[in-house]
Amino acid sequence: MSAPIWVGVALLGGAGAIGRFLLDGWIAARTRGDLPLGTLVVNLSGALALGLLTGLALSGDALVLAGTATLGSYTTFSTWMLETQRLAEDAELPLALLNIALSLLAGVGAAALGRSIGAHL
Amino acid sequence: MNDDCLKLTTYFGERERTPNGLLADELLALYGRERLQASVLLRGAEGFGAHHSRRTDRLLTLSEDLPVVSVAIDRRACIEALLEPVLALQRRGLLTLERARLATDSVLAPSAPRERPPAETKLTLYLGRRQRIARVPAFVAICEQLRRGGVAGATVLLGVDGTRRGQRARAGFFASNSDVPVMLIAVGSAQSITAVLPAIAAALGEPLLTLERIRVCKRDGHLLARPPELPPSDARGRPLWQKLMIYTSQSATHEGRPLSGQLVRRLRETGLAGATGLRGIWGFHGEHAPHGDRLLQVRRRVPALTIAIDTPARIAEAFTIVDELTAEHGLVTSEVVPALLPAGEGAQKLALADHTS
Repeated sequence: MSAPIWVGVALLGGAGAIGRFLLDGWIAARTRGDLPLGTLVVNLSGALALGLLTGLALSGDALVLAGTATLGSYTTFSTWMLETQRLAEDAELPLALLNIALSLLAGVGAAALGRSIGAHL
Repeated sequence: MNDDCLKLTTYFGERERTPNGLLADELLALYGRERLQASVLLRGAEGFGAHHSRRTDRLLTLSEDLPVVSVAIDRRACIEALLEPVLALQRRGLLTLERARLATDSVLAPSAPRERPPAETKLTLYLGRRQRIARVPAFVAICEQLRRGGVAGATVLLGVDGTRRGQRARAGFFASNSDVPVMLIAVGSAQSITAVLPAIAAALGEPLLTLERIRVCKRDGHLLARPPELPPSDARGRPLWQKLMIYTSQSATHEGRPLSGQLVRRLRETGLAGATGLRGIWGFHGEHAPHGDRLLQVRRRVPALTIAIDTPARIAEAFTIVDELTAEHGLVTSEVVPALLPAGEGAQKLALADHTS
């Protein structure tokens, strides 16, 4: 990988994280329930977008920049895990399990949907 | 025991800054320079305030500016002199002044007979994190003494900074932190607290504690009394404020959902001025054995404390919600707050109202 690509990874990675922070904060401030919807929306939209990019057969530097850098830092596994653990800690085990199941099923679905959309474009 | 003391409490966001650094650091540095008898900085777990935006450590993004509470106690003149510099530092959030009796030694007898002794009392002890009584952490030993003495409940809050007898101790990541203050709040009948006080004072040697007049509204789901109906202002037109404190456990639920989180959310929806949720490290209420966290557990068992302040009329409305949510659990107390000021206004507006309920 060339130096400009490394710089691009750093910049787009930062942009992805900022995007997540803003979107997650905007959603979380507007939801009433205890389900961490902000993180769910971020992860599902990220999975859909990454599916779309690979469906479009993006490869090489473009995939590194858009997929690994941007979407990689936009989506978050650790926040999903932490917020699930916090639900369990606060005596909301059913909601914690729902948060895992929903993310997994809808996440894989979103990636598949993205890929098939991308392949048809 | 000094009967003419004041407690200055300020509520703000953890990320609030002054030109010289973080507000929390600057405030506590000021309390340290003024060698206050007792002060402590507490980090909140959730809440809302001036901006009405929700903050909670349940969600990563919303935990970047959690509420903090600073408490400062000393003689009236000391605290009054502190108001100007504190207001110069803190431009946002809320300040309250409350009356308290402060004891800094083992002489616990009130210095002047009270016209009407309170029926219920809040006892606050300022201990060191590593302070021990007979090899047991002091806060654990005292909770046990209080419980055996029939006191309604106690909650231990971990300070991250503060002063005790004028000495500042600030928690650090790689430090023993043994002198960093821990705040133990106990509520119960004045009789039960007066009865256990000499034994606690003897165990501690030189206790640092305050006594405040409160009203216990609910205990273990039973309604004992609604918060006293206060007029909007005292005889001289100075506004009165009211404070609810709701002591529950982090594991307590209402209709299957966590109680402490619901309290803050529902209070915010009613349009209350502000509420702060704090998490304790140890405590008890009612007949339940003292509880805290254990290593490797799923649910947390630590105490949770929610503080809500507003005008008497708004607190009366809020109490209806609190009453509904604490149908099964919780100890609810109400207090008169004789002075409150949104930060950013002049200290001259902070006049202590007179009200004896």
